[in-house]
Amino acid sequence: MTTQELIEKVGLKPLSKFENRVVEGVYISDMVSDVMAGAKSGDLWLTIQTHKSIVPAANLVDVSAIVITGGKEVPAETVELASKYDIAILSSELPTFKLVGKLYALGVGA
Amino acid sequence: MSGCQHKWKMKNVEFGFVVFEKCFHCNRVRTYFTTEMVAILGDEYREADHFWHRVENAQSFRFDLQCSVCGDLESFGDLMGLLYCTGCLSDCRLEILRRELEAERIHMLMACGFLGESELKPKQVRLDKLEELTNYFNQRRDTARSRIKIVPFDLEDGFCRCKGEFLYDVDMLSQEPITARRSPF
Repeated sequence: MTTQELIEKVGLKPLSKFENRVVEGVYISDMVSDVMAGAKSGDLWLTIQTHKSIVPAANLVDVSAIVITGGKEVPAETVELASKYDIAILSSELPTFKLVGKLYALGVGA
Repeated sequence: MSGCQHKWKMKNVEFGFVVFEKCFHCNRVRTYFTTEMVAILGDEYREADHFWHRVENAQSFRFDLQCSVCGDLESFGDLMGLLYCTGCLSDCRLEILRRELEAERIHMLMACGFLGESELKPKQVRLDKLEELTNYFNQRRDTARSRIKIVPFDLEDGFCRCKGEFLYDVDMLSQEPITARRSPF
């Protein structure tokens, strides 16, 4: 499944300009150190962190997109940096647990 | 020197804190890694002529890289963290390099070693180790799309004026969303 397909099926809102990519798995973490150690290339990274350093961290491990859950507001500078790096920042009103349920039902990361 | 084309895996991952301590007598700053489970701020103590207190704890991790082919182990315990360049100074050598690499879809990060109490600049991590670390992160991605390059921090002309940002977790105990972080230096 690609990031564009997920946006349509799960109701995610794109905040940055991005390259459409195949989503290989899902990684859930609110710590960039944990993401740097454990996330894989192509993973969809679910987090409530919105500081702009999530963008270079996501870029370092080559995630397919960052999904900010729980309706958290994302600062403009984070979105701007993501657009510059071509990293998709997507937003969901759903809490992480419910979003994971939807992704799992779609077979993402299974 | 090994002739192996290393295939690196991250091993011995330990989560902890990078601690920034400042001496309120001489204003020196030093940093080190601790695996303490709880961040302690404001802890003050005297050590010889210094009066240290912790000014920042950044959640971070340390690791080794091990080659899955030959078993060689490379320790990165001397790596304090990776910074990304925010392009704050147009005449900085790192910013100039960043722009050159960006044109080739290579994203640059700077590797910074720990700061000892008698040093004005962070220790440098060996260049050959940074090359292997670069290789490791490039092995984790599709390099046809973009690549990573990790360079030493000693290319930075003015440490005190650098507004590069570390990739670490700060203020994780805060209830408020973090939008701006002050440098602990």
